[in-house]
Amino acid sequence: MPCDSGRYALIRFGLILLLTGAAGPAKSQQEPDRPAAQQPAANPIDRWNRMTPEQRERELAKLPPARARLIRQRIWRYNHMRPEERQALRERYQTFAQLPPEKQQLVRQRLREYRELPAARQSLVHREVAQLRALPDAQRQARMNGDEFVGRFSPQERQIIRDLTTYFPD
Amino acid sequence: MNCPIQNRNPEALVAYTAGALDREAARALERHMADCAACRSMAADQAAVWKALDAWEAPAISPDFDRRLYRRIDREVRFSWWDRLTRAFRPMPLRQALPVTASAGLLLMAGLLLQHPGPSTRVAPRGEIVRANQVESTLDDLDLLRQFGAPDSAESAHPDAM
Repeated sequence: MPCDSGRYALIRFGLILLLTGAAGPAKSQQEPDRPAAQQPAANPIDRWNRMTPEQRERELAKLPPARARLIRQRIWRYNHMRPEERQALRERYQTFAQLPPEKQQLVRQRLREYRELPAARQSLVHREVAQLRALPDAQRQARMNGDEFVGRFSPQERQIIRDLTTYFPD
Repeated sequence: MNCPIQNRNPEALVAYTAGALDREAARALERHMADCAACRSMAADQAAVWKALDAWEAPAISPDFDRRLYRRIDREVRFSWWDRLTRAFRPMPLRQALPVTASAGLLLMAGLLLQHPGPSTRVAPRGEIVRANQVESTLDDLDLLRQFGAPDSAESAHPDAM
């Protein structure tokens, strides 16, 4: 049959097209509907918790025992947080994880600097970030350029506040 | 042999009905089809399409084919916009429509079959492996976010890292 290869290719192409289309809905049937706004995407710890105990042990066995023990403890603490606290943390992590890598690195750096501040200064910085986040952009900029802001915070604190407010809206 | 439909690889069935499979693969597929009604049915439908296509004979090209073709192209260029718009909706001759309809029917059936597989065709999702290093760095990030997160975080200072 002279046209066999052409017909064969045509049918194969049609089938592939159809199957590609069919794969989408079939996949969505396997996943329960969940409103994206309410349910943040699973973070690596949540995904770790879904692995089998054997898989987890196999992964931890690749690390030195002391480090593996520490990870186990830290995961245990995460799993035993109050549900509402864990949920809030999940949401915050999702916001963080959606930042481009260089912004994530910047936010990480500012959060480390924040952690090193004395407790009393941490409280002031935290409150300032929360207040600035609540303001419209123009007012926020005006406040950060104001004398009061400059007078109340050190250059390092101002940088922490500026970057966390700008790049990490909670 | 793995079921071509369950594996979303019906090309094996298409190749089988086209006689394009080697003897060993064809025998393996025949053994599988003896137990698999879905594959049997799809192969039968596919064979029907081949039969319809085989029955379709392209008309022989007339000696003045080129001259008529060029005349038609020339006419086509001068068609009004309305002619061009309505041409697609004019009825197709039965001899041309039959193989097209048969192919479309088969594709539709294949799509429906794969979209609503029986209970035995559902494949469990493969478990994702998260590396311990990734877990560790995520825990570090969660620690930082947690320490900054709560309004009273500064007062409590969260001495216990996660």
